[in-house]
Parts: sequence; C-alpha cells; structure tokens
Amino acid sequence: MTETPVPSTATVASPAAMPAAGSLVRRLGLPAALVVMVAAFTVAEPRMLAGDNLLNVVVQASYLTLFALAQVVVLLTRGFDLSLGTAVSTVSVFAALLLTGSFGGAAGTLAGIVGGLALAAAIGAVNGAVVAWLRVSPFVATLGMLNVCLGLASLLSDGRPVAGLPDTFTTLFYAAAPLGIPAPVLVALGVAGLLYALLHHTVFGRSLYLVGGNPRAAEVAGVPVRAVLVGAYALCSLLAGIGALLLTARTGTGEPNLGGTLTLESIAAAVVGGASLRGGAGGVGAAVLGALFVTVLANGMNLTRVDGNVQAIVLGCVIVAAVVADRLRTGGGR
Amino acid sequence: MAVAPLPTAPAPVAPGTASAAPVLSLRGIVKCFPGVRALDGVSLDVRPGEVHVLLGENGAGKSTLINVIAGTFAADAGDYLIDGMPAGALTPQRARALGICPVFQEFSLAPNLTVEDNLFLGREPRRLGFLDRRAMRAEARRIIADLGFDLDPARTVATLSRAHQQMAEIAKALLAEPRVLILDEPTASLTESETEKLFGLIERLRAEGVAIIYVSHRMPEIRRLGDRITVLRDGRHVRTLPMAGVTEEALVELMTGRKVEVLFPHIQHRPGEAALELRGLTTADRSVQGADFVARRGEITGIAGLVGCGKSELVRAAYGLCPLEGGEVRLFGETFRHPSPARALRQGLCYFPSDRVAEGLALERPIRENASMAALDEAAIARGGVLRRAGERGLIQRTVERLALRPAHIERPVGALSGGNRQKVVLARGLVRDTQVFLFDEPTVGIDVGAKADLYAVLKELAEGGAAIVLVSSELPEVLHLSNRVYVMHRSRMIAELSGADLTEQAILSCFFAETGDGRTGREGVAS
Repeated sequence: MTETPVPSTATVASPAAMPAAGSLVRRLGLPAALVVMVAAFTVAEPRMLAGDNLLNVVVQASYLTLFALAQVVVLLTRGFDLSLGTAVSTVSVFAALLLTGSFGGAAGTLAGIVGGLALAAAIGAVNGAVVAWLRVSPFVATLGMLNVCLGLASLLSDGRPVAGLPDTFTTLFYAAAPLGIPAPVLVALGVAGLLYALLHHTVFGRSLYLVGGNPRAAEVAGVPVRAVLVGAYALCSLLAGIGALLLTARTGTGEPNLGGTLTLESIAAAVVGGASLRGGAGGVGAAVLGALFVTVLANGMNLTRVDGNVQAIVLGCVIVAAVVADRLRTGGGR
Repeated sequence: MAVAPLPTAPAPVAPGTASAAPVLSLRGIVKCFPGVRALDGVSLDVRPGEVHVLLGENGAGKSTLINVIAGTFAADAGDYLIDGMPAGALTPQRARALGICPVFQEFSLAPNLTVEDNLFLGREPRRLGFLDRRAMRAEARRIIADLGFDLDPARTVATLSRAHQQMAEIAKALLAEPRVLILDEPTASLTESETEKLFGLIERLRAEGVAIIYVSHRMPEIRRLGDRITVLRDGRHVRTLPMAGVTEEALVELMTGRKVEVLFPHIQHRPGEAALELRGLTTADRSVQGADFVARRGEITGIAGLVGCGKSELVRAAYGLCPLEGGEVRLFGETFRHPSPARALRQGLCYFPSDRVAEGLALERPIRENASMAALDEAAIARGGVLRRAGERGLIQRTVERLALRPAHIERPVGALSGGNRQKVVLARGLVRDTQVFLFDEPTVGIDVGAKADLYAVLKELAEGGAAIVLVSSELPEVLHLSNRVYVMHRSRMIAELSGADLTEQAILSCFFAETGDGRTGREGVAS
C-alpha cells in the first residue's frame, strides 16, 4: 500500500507501471493462481492437459470472455448488468426466428445477425437510459430488465427452442475454423482487441473510466455522463448479443433458457480478473484472465467429477472472495 | 438574560489565572495518518476557567488535535495528562466520563430520534427497567431552558434546521457537566441572537471554572471570548500567547508563517471588457436571489460572504451546476443560454470546485487523465473521438511543470498527492484549453502555505495576462489582498461592491453583520 517515490524498484521499466506497487502483485497474482490451479487439477486428473481438453477450455473461455468483456464495460462505470443472461436468451430466440423466417438464404442469415445485435443494443440502451436519466440504481434497473427479457424470450418462442437454423449461420459462428482456430475463439479475440482500442484510445473509453472514477467530477468537467452511461449499457448488451449469436450457433437452436447462469459467471469472471465493483478499474485483461480462471475451475471440477451443485457453491464462494480481495486492495470501507 | 446556575458548579477560579493548574496537558503529541504527519510534537495546556482559542489554517492540525483530546484518535507519541495524571488509553466514552465534552462540526446526533432521546442517548434514566420518559422530558426542558435556546425537545433531529441541531449538540455536551468543553466553529450555523446566547453561556461556564477549547476563524469572536490563543501551523505548535494586545496581522503572520505582503503577490490589475456578467440572477433553490455581478478581463474579482450566503452557488450557477430560475448570464457581451459545464468550457469559462475530492478528481486515475478531463473535445488531445495519447502526454506534462507540481510524474494516481498538488491538477484543466474566465471556489481550502503561494502566483500571472478571475473565498485576507474589486453576499443577496479605498476588512465585516434578526434558516452550512 505505502507508495514511496523510490526510483530504483522493479517498476522502473515504464512510468506507466508506477501507479501502484500493489498492481504488480495483482497482475502476477492471478496468472500464478491459474498455473497453480492447472497443476493441481493435472495431478488429480492428467487428462487436464490433453490436447482436446485444452482446446475445449479455450473455446469455452471464449464465450465467457465475451460476456465478461460486456460486464467490464458497465463495471467501469460503477454499474453491472444483471439482465445479461436473459438478454442473451431473448437475443437467441429473436435471432433464430429471423434466421428461420421468411427471408431465407443469405438475406435471412444477415437479418438474424443484424436483428439480434440491434435488439441487444436496444435492451442495453434502455438499461442505460433508466440508470442515467431516471437515476435508478443499476441493480434495480437491470433486475427489472432481467424479468422483462425472461418474459420476452418465452413469449417470442412459446417456451420452445426455435429449431432449423440455416447451415451458413451455424458454420459461420461455430464450425468454421480458419487456420485451425475455432470461430468463437477468433470472434472473442477480435472483440477483445477492438474493445482494448476503444477503452484506451477513444474519448468514449476514457470517459468510461472517468465516470466510474468519480461521476460527479466527470460531470463538473463537462463529460456527458448520461450519454456515456447509455453508451456503456448499450455496448455491454451488444457484446453479450455477439456472445448470444455464438451460443445459438453452437446449440443449433434459439434457446429461451440459453442465458441461464451467464450473468453470475460473467460478473464472477470480470471481478476475479480484477475489475472493481466500485468502478474505474479493470479492462480487457481482467475479462480475459477472469474468464480463463473461471473456465479452468469449472473444467477441472468436471474432470475430477465434482458434483454440479458443489460447483455452484464453489463459484459463489469465488465471487465473494474476489470482491473481498478487491475491497482489501483498494483500502477498506469506502 | 436570567441565568440559573448549572447543577454542579465547581469553586470559581479567576479566568486564566497563571496559578491554576492545567486541567489538560499535552506534551509533544504526534499523530500520523498515511502520508501526512497531522500533528508533529504539539504541546498545549488548558486551564480551568479559560477560553483557549485554537487558531490555524485549514490543515494546520486543529481538528486532529481536538480529536486526540476527545479520545477519538490515539496519539502516536507524546504525553496526555488530565489533572496531571496520564490519560492512558482514552476512548470517546472515557473522555466524556472524565468531563471532556466535544461539540464537533460533524454532528453526532442520531437523525431519526428526538432531541431528548439524543440528549440521553446511552444514559437514559430508567424506572423498573423501562425508559423514564417523563424524567427525560423534564430534564431536557430544564437544560434547554437553562441555555436559553429556542428548541423543542420532542422534535425529531432530522426535521431541525442546522442551527437547532447545533443547539441540541451543545445541550448534549453540557448534560454531561463538562470540565473541558470543546467547541469547533460553534457559531457557523447560528443566528446572531443565538450566537449571543452561546457567548453568554460560554462566559458563564468560564466563570464556573470550566475550561473551554474554542476553534474559530472569526476574529471578532476570538477577540471577545479568548483568554489565550494557541497557533498551529502544518501540524506544529507555533506559539501560545495571551489574547490581550495581539494584532490581527501578527496572528495571520503566525498562522501562515510569512508576512502578509510576502504571501500575497502584488497584482497589476488592468480591468478591461466585461467577461462574465450576471443580471438579476436567481437560482431555482433560492440560494442566490436577484444578484448582479460583473467580472472583467485583467482583474481579480472577489466574492466574500459567510458560509452559506450563496457566493459559491452564484458561480456554480453561471457554470451550469445550479439550475436557474431567473436572470441572465452574459459572456463577453452575449447571452449565455442554458449554462452547462460542457458549453461553459467551450465558451472559455472554467469552474474549479472547492471540494476537490467530491467534485474535482477521480482519485484512482492518473494525473494525466484528471488534468485532461475537461478538454477531451480539444484538438490537441483528441480528434474525431480518438485520443492522441502522445499529444495529451506532452501537453499535460508541460502544464504540470508550469504549475510547479512536484514530482511532475503524470502517471501517478491523484489520490497519492497532497492537497496542494491536487489543486494544481484541477487548475491544470483551465490551462490545457483556451480559458478566459476562471471561477475559483475556495481555492486554498485544505492546501499548505507553499502551495497557496504557488496558486497566488498563477492567479497573478493569469490576471495580468488578461484573463478574468473570479475568486470566491471565505478567507478574508485572501479576498482582500488579491482582488481589485470585492462583492459581498449576505443571505442569498449581493449587498455590496467594494473597490479602491472602500475595500477594507472593516467594510467587508460590517457587511457580514449588516442585518440582524432570526430570519436565517438552517441552510447556512458549517464552515469547512
């Protein structure tokens, strides 16, 4: 915690590494924990390091990375999105209806993709507008949206999976593997790269950090806080929508229950990775690392045949532990 | 005023007699907080029957010192003697039991309980295990009547004005029959007649041998009540001296550590065109009513007034932070409609908030991001929504060096900086874009003397360079010595504009106390 301006520490390499000596521990702590965990699971079950399992982990982590990236965007502004899971279900069903609808062929595929993403962004924009303009807390606003989307997904699909998706769609978002890299991994990497550029090289990205760091100060400094919030929630849902299309392609149907535990897992991954629930901290790295961590944990427990219910308990504990760690490193009860 | 004796009056002692043994003795008290040495070897004797004034600038250590005396903070080093005996591990409860009763600026009342509940909180009279409400009511009424306060003991604290909350707080302290009463800016939210009652009470307690530690900035009060005065500066004990025969200049010099004319630079004011003009301005919350104001290029225009008079709201309204109800804001001769921070910044108007933690800075973000926060629409920092990071770094680095921020390490988080350096980061915002009108709201609150001098030098440079500077300050010497013209606000209204030979401390003070009566509401907050 104590920061002294001693020039000859390990952080000399780059001035940007100076901000907090503690962040060095934070940066290396999680990868170290990841390595220890992989080692422990490998000892218990050597199949952990088998090629097909590793590929499986990476693909699984790609989906979670997208959802964690989505959460990071709103976590930066001191918010979170509880509606992410049911929004994914709604987008899945809606996109599937368009894909199997009367457009047919390439037009239908395009309609499904564009329509699904547009609905996702609209859901997020409503979340953001309720938070920014009506000044409803993110908890209540997105909890309400969680229920709205739950109802929407069931209404649109009559509660049944929407089957018969065109092959072009499932190939594009699931089966394709240019250069041997599965499509979901490519999409996650691409989105992560774009989001990194957005966060660190655009005014909007900077504004996310400033609004999360101190919303009042940002307002006084002329940052359009409300527009930034609407943008943040819309972007969050848009990223979740991309994830929804990937998952829909994987299952081959539009699923009204696709979102399931995604909300919890996405927040868990982001927070474990180092995004703060109190805003202004975290980034792409947090989402990627956190998603890997949570995926490896789940995969390891699957391989070692840990009961599914026990897995849920473990994940719950990991989230709380991550939040406690966040509180400890940012110095207590503010 | 009919004064009934308090329940237990110790044998009267002549005020401040040298022979009286001190009831409190502090020797070389040290108290550190992360990154700050708030108290550095402070010694203090407080004798029965004296009003001992603590004087010092913001950040000098007064609050920390009274918190140590009251048992809220434990000293890191030094001796604390009560009646010549080591106080040992003191807690607020133990301090109260020993008769040390603080009245803090931040009230310790439970807002949802009534006044009488609060008075007896934790020491309720009981009968057969139940609260004895009747006894509580009677005792509360007796004490409040004794104080001469106009306060209903059955009211819920949250529904009271700030002044009445302050009275309840004082009543609560007196209930414990104090031997040492600590008053921290007690008059900040009282009306004049209430202030009179409080002074009468203080004089009576003094005559009864109670030791009173009195924190205040207000010269007339200090003069009227004080027996001895202890000056603190940067956590150190500067001097303790008898009140009699001390001049104000001498006190300012002791507080700031430099002669008045050295601290305040000589500024060549050359008033030019009207930059910011307010006509009949009234805010929606009525904290400003019908105010007229002009700030010109090339001069510093001061706004003085007591805390809560509306001087801060006036400039905030011009910047778009307080909704307007009526009147007009004009910038360089043109009407400035619907003020908002973003629009104001584009027009060359920048506001520098007094509460830099709440409204100025994102503490966990680096200096660079905080300094460029208000200029993200500037071509030097971003173009088409894309940041030009190298340009930003260079610009902020140069600005920070111009402001003598040390160390000029722009990637450090602002939270790691001292108050003075934080102010420089906020100030940098005005310099990284073309700002013509600078609105400073209490710019030197919480910063040390060195940083103050740096800030004043920047003000001089800006004003002489042709910018219009508006200086809102509760520190009279600051307004007086830096401004070319001074407006005085009182109870939401602009009541005077002083310049030239009329611009004297006496003239400003007489404006503060121009009106009397009980018309003030509780919204006149506490001095920070």
